[in-house]
Amino acid sequence: MDIVSHSIRERTIAENSLVILLQGLHGQMTTVDLRDESTARGRIINVDAFMNIRLEKVLYRDRLGFMSSMDDLFITGRNVRYVHIPDHMNIIETIETQLAKIHCVRNFGARKEYSKNK
Amino acid sequence: MEEGERESESERRSAPSQTSDQQTTTETSRQTPETEEDDVETKLDISSDKFDPLLALYSPQVPLPFPNIRCFNNIAEYESFMKGGRGRAKPENVEKRLRKAQKGKADPERIERLKRLMVNNPVEEEGEGSGVKRQPRRRKAAKNVLTRMPLHTGSPLGELNRCVQEKIRVKVHIRTFKGLRGVCSGFVVAFDKFWNLAMVDVDETYREPLLGQALYHEKALTITRLFEKLKVQESVALSAVENQKSELHSSSSRLTNQTRRTDPRHTQERSEHSEKDKTTLKAAQQFKTKPKVEYGRVHTRHVNQLFIRGENILLVNLQLE
Repeated sequence: MDIVSHSIRERTIAENSLVILLQGLHGQMTTVDLRDESTARGRIINVDAFMNIRLEKVLYRDRLGFMSSMDDLFITGRNVRYVHIPDHMNIIETIETQLAKIHCVRNFGARKEYSKNK
Repeated sequence: MEEGERESESERRSAPSQTSDQQTTTETSRQTPETEEDDVETKLDISSDKFDPLLALYSPQVPLPFPNIRCFNNIAEYESFMKGGRGRAKPENVEKRLRKAQKGKADPERIERLKRLMVNNPVEEEGEGSGVKRQPRRRKAAKNVLTRMPLHTGSPLGELNRCVQEKIRVKVHIRTFKGLRGVCSGFVVAFDKFWNLAMVDVDETYREPLLGQALYHEKALTITRLFEKLKVQESVALSAVENQKSELHSSSSRLTNQTRRTDPRHTQERSEHSEKDKTTLKAAQQFKTKPKVEYGRVHTRHVNQLFIRGENILLVNLQLE
């Protein structure tokens, strides 16, 4: 499961916005309320920098109230209105954990023998 | 070119005035027996009057007053050297040069440093090694969503930051495709430049959007109207329940024990009451034919932690008390 995106661009976008909070919810069971008043309840597989969300084992309730279940659902970022965050998650801690992961990845190849400012 | 030459000449002249004197004396003593050789010598001597530059350029050996002097390729190089540019013998550079000279030799200090950088256990070593390395180094200030929150002082987002810091309850107006959908009342924990909000302890009051002609004809929904509608709905529900109860009391013997499933569109209070009550077919029909606000019902719900995409926010209102 890719925790951090492979693209530098997506990483920076995520790092500077609240999408990183949603990326910390990988694997959690949540409800996403869409712009058109429909709701999708499922396990988050992946959220990218543009808030596109992939869910699995979804109970989808469309805006007319009809329920249906799906194995896999992809929601475009723009169509998201709310994301319900599970009660047991601490918001600030989740954000900080995700930021630390990005730092790890960023500094992976940049080990230097001598420091620049001696 | 000429000026530079003159300058370097003057430098060279100032120090070795002694040597030139010596040379001239030798020249004068030698002049009579071997004039040609002396001539050549004087001509090649830079500090003498009879200096012949053309001869000097083409002769195989020219006596330089300072053989070990630093050579420059052009005047510009000389100028930058004099000004103390890169490469000037500063202590750090001298050290660097010495280090480079010793490149091939094994340096125990260097071996230690390299060992520290080695990755035995990728996760651990990385954290340790990079942590140790980073402390002496001056670090560029980390810029991420959390550090950007307090940066907006003076702007509306700065006001929002104040709500985060002082834990002020806010009311967030949410929009539908056209107009107001509802209000979320809660505490903001985090936000970003897109106005995405992470909120806790949220009470949401909202109305499902009207469709078609109703939307066209209806007056624009405002907060006051929203809550009025909510009150009206509640009162309708209460009165309906009261009516029901009185009916039940009067005709309890005739009732059959039927419990009907509630219509998902009812509000919470109404659903609670109707679940408890026993209904007759007559009463059920009354429910379906007589609801006052069928479309565009106002709903209330509580969410402990909610993330709102900034696109859907109309405005944020501080709830100061």
